[in-house]
Amino acid sequence: MSAMRIDAKVVMLGKESVGKTSLVERYVHHRFLVGPYQNTIGAAFVAKSISVGDKVITLGIWDTAGSERYEAMSRIYYRGARAAIVCYDLTDNSSFQRARFWVKELQTFEEHCKIYLCGTKNDLVEGDRSARQVDYHDVQDFVEEIGAQHFETSSKTGNNVDALFTKVAEDFSNSAFELLSAEEKGVNLDQKKNSYLYSCCHH
Amino acid sequence: MAADVHSKGVTWDTPNGNLAPVEHLPNSRSESPTPGLVEGTEPGASQERAMFAHTQSFEDLTADVELTGSHHSEVEEVEEEQQGGLEGGVEGGVEGEGGGGEDAAVVEPKPEVQAVVREKEEDVTSETWRSHKKHVFVLSEAGKPIYTRYGSEEALSSTMGVMMALVSFVEADKNVILSIHADGFRVVFLRKSPLVLVCVSRSGQSDGELWRELHYVYYQILSLLTLPQLQRVFQQRQSFDLRRLLSGSERVTAGLLRLLEMDAGLMLNATMSLPLCSTTRNVVCTSLQAASSKNLVFSVLLAGSRLVALIRKKEQHLHHTDLHLLSNLAASSSSFRQGEGWTPVCLPKFNASGFFHAHISYLEQASDLCLILVSTDREDFFNLSDCKQRFLDRLKKRNVYQALQEALHTPTYPVSQVGIPELWHFVYKSKSSGLYTSPELPVPYRTEEEQERLMELYRYLHSRLHHPTRPLRSIYRCTNTENLLGWSTSGFELYLCFSPLATKALAMSAVTKLLKWIRKEEDRLFILNSLTY
Repeated sequence: MSAMRIDAKVVMLGKESVGKTSLVERYVHHRFLVGPYQNTIGAAFVAKSISVGDKVITLGIWDTAGSERYEAMSRIYYRGARAAIVCYDLTDNSSFQRARFWVKELQTFEEHCKIYLCGTKNDLVEGDRSARQVDYHDVQDFVEEIGAQHFETSSKTGNNVDALFTKVAEDFSNSAFELLSAEEKGVNLDQKKNSYLYSCCHH
Repeated sequence: MAADVHSKGVTWDTPNGNLAPVEHLPNSRSESPTPGLVEGTEPGASQERAMFAHTQSFEDLTADVELTGSHHSEVEEVEEEQQGGLEGGVEGGVEGEGGGGEDAAVVEPKPEVQAVVREKEEDVTSETWRSHKKHVFVLSEAGKPIYTRYGSEEALSSTMGVMMALVSFVEADKNVILSIHADGFRVVFLRKSPLVLVCVSRSGQSDGELWRELHYVYYQILSLLTLPQLQRVFQQRQSFDLRRLLSGSERVTAGLLRLLEMDAGLMLNATMSLPLCSTTRNVVCTSLQAASSKNLVFSVLLAGSRLVALIRKKEQHLHHTDLHLLSNLAASSSSFRQGEGWTPVCLPKFNASGFFHAHISYLEQASDLCLILVSTDREDFFNLSDCKQRFLDRLKKRNVYQALQEALHTPTYPVSQVGIPELWHFVYKSKSSGLYTSPELPVPYRTEEEQERLMELYRYLHSRLHHPTRPLRSIYRCTNTENLLGWSTSGFELYLCFSPLATKALAMSAVTKLLKWIRKEEDRLFILNSLTY
């Protein structure tokens, strides 16, 4: 009846026109829209279920607009996100600088959010190596430094797209399990009761 | 509070409380309406409270630039030769070759999307650029380019500098530049600090009409930024490049300019509703009403640019301008089809100083039914998503979803239904409900150029009926290709297009017949009750 249950919030971040929407479109609807760039307005939300092992996980994907106009709004989209896919365009170095900005933002405000750096438009640099403006190894170094994951994808051919989202889901599934078991160990009924009473007395 | 208690038994259930004149009630609706009807009793008038913020016409929109003169009502007849066809200017909509899709999943973009991109890539020194019928420019008070309809802003910085020089030169003498008429061109200026908007047109439209269009562009910008944010960025730095904040909105503005040319609703300050049988409409409206949430202000269901249902918070009224901006926004990005959209949006006529948050989605991916839920809370996404789901579930449970989908196949009706042989087309606006109806465009107006030409004729009639100093009550105009009648009363506005063989006597009798027909069909063509949550 009511809205679908969402397990993990995933947010897409990155400079305008790096292909965040195309990436989501390829993953969710298995298609690629050719032709002129169409801006996302505000943000678009889409839910997608994926099976990991014997479990089904529903990812709630927030595809945000890259325009500076919405920057002030961006916190409401990434708050509480379990994963952020920070996109940059392999053929545009400035988009990588923008990706660094988002990484910093996430590290400051959302420390529990796992970061996945995603170089898009891989098909363009495969055809013509000189088109590449962002070096693979430089990004790899950066990724290791910040403890993130690194993917290079093409939404046009579909290359590596499923792998990226599968990894996101798997990591979530593993960490959710860890979190759950950690909580089980930590729960102490007496303690909870006490703290409840404690707060009661003071009101 | 005491007053509330006393009036309780009287007003809560009565439509419009004690404000409604008795004539507003449905039982006094005349079967054969005459042109002498007062506002509120014309065919299509809402039976209860008005759905929209009350506006007579576009004077409301442009009131701050126009002088309202003495309102003589005159009847004028114009017999004239057809003014030789449209000279050039109309850009061919010919599309380049599609290019074979690379795989089955590759989807070709719509032609209009490609057109927008082509327009922005145009060379501003070329003859095609010069020959456009209507240019629109937006610049900052520092003379910095913000928007141009055709070509790129960078290439026009010196042109825009000249425009700013003209504005400041006149202002230096404590005067305001309004427009320049020369050589078939009109250059119209609109000063909305911190912006200057300029329209260069050879479309034959009046200054007032062009101001109205520039106002729309201005409101479009406000809807993205809000007025305080716009003022703030220029206070901080006069030379701020506003394009940084507007990036990505080019298609929205281009879509709006297109609508201004093709959609009678923006001219009339009215909205067209989707023809729908009244029982289906009632279920749709009550279902939408039931799917409410604490911070919801407006729920709007659209089929393309046609209104299916509008529910609003008590005491809150949506303005037509805001509704047109919302529906244009929803139409200008395909991203709303891919998922549920969530975006801040300012409704400048409602309140230019703050953002609402709009949940925009299509009922189903392949459907043309677009639902816009406007909330005051930016954290409301999942609540509204739930509202949408409840609405859709209820529609399906009560078996109207299918009926609604079928109504989309016939979004309009042929003019032959009215049964007036020489009548080709008409536009009828009910002033009190703010809704209008119009049949589909018949054979001579199937091409885009012809549609634009008909709209131009209507715009001419409209500008004569709403002339700031010499408004007319009615106007009859003959050309070689059609005969036209425009008529405005306190209750309605009517524009009729007849074959060139029609006579004036026939036109006059057609009005009565048409009003009778609209009265008979009004519960299908109009939304007669306006519901609140």
